[in-house]
Amino acid sequence: MTDEQLNAEIREANLTYLMLAQNLIRRDKAEAQFRLGISEESADLMAALSPAQLSKIASSSMLLCRFRMDDEVVWSLLTNHAARKVDNDTTTRLHASILMAGRHAEAI
Amino acid sequence: MATVKSVLNESRQIERAVALIKLGARLQVLESETDLSYERLLRLYKEVAGKSPSKGQLPFSTDWFLTWQPNIHASLFLNIYEHLNKVSSIEGIDAVMKAFKLYSEQMDMLEMEPLLSVTRAWRLVKFVDNNMLAMTKCCKCGGHFVSEPYENSRHYVCGLCEPPARAGKGSTARGILLH
Repeated sequence: MTDEQLNAEIREANLTYLMLAQNLIRRDKAEAQFRLGISEESADLMAALSPAQLSKIASSSMLLCRFRMDDEVVWSLLTNHAARKVDNDTTTRLHASILMAGRHAEAI
Repeated sequence: MATVKSVLNESRQIERAVALIKLGARLQVLESETDLSYERLLRLYKEVAGKSPSKGQLPFSTDWFLTWQPNIHASLFLNIYEHLNKVSSIEGIDAVMKAFKLYSEQMDMLEMEPLLSVTRAWRLVKFVDNNMLAMTKCCKCGGHFVSEPYENSRHYVCGLCEPPARAGKGSTARGILLH
């Protein structure tokens, strides 16, 4: 993959993310904040973006959305790699959901 | 509440009551969260649900939320509820309803039976508001779980990091399984 292709893919991902985020926020802001893990200010800003702004912001060599589980515990629960007392897939995913729901934008 | 009688306000109340009935709330929840009279709520309930509401008191004590499986469900719900409360401006019963919807959705995704009903979720929030239950951080995974108030967080371990001896043995396929 060339650098150009890579940048095109990042742009694509950014655009998809921003459009999805806008859709979610316009449908239900509070719910969207939970799903996206963003603050109210960010949600308001994103919802107000015009299509032209959206595509300008998306054109970047950096990904706009960032990893939600930058944390070893959640990650190991989701992949079920570490040896634990519980090794049922559904139950460890439930555990990860509890941990992720407990984090909010201010805390990051 | 001594609010001026307003048609708009009343329509909002009815809308909220209908949403709650659709989620399966008991009449006590509606009575507490709207200003509508008992008679009107009863009629509304029959119209929306197509049957009479269940009678009797709400049977729940705080104990239910502390038993193993319900505790995990309750903790997921309460984490979502607190999240919504902290990051957004919705509050009260609207936050309960939204958090319950998100909780049910998660249960669907995990193909698990949702143990929490909207009435129980509402009770849970009331218990926490009145300091009869609280959230304590697990010292192993760092997650917050429903617990007795004043639980010592230095030694508190959640039911998923250290399941009790008999946990998961009697679970059905859609319950919480350990292996």
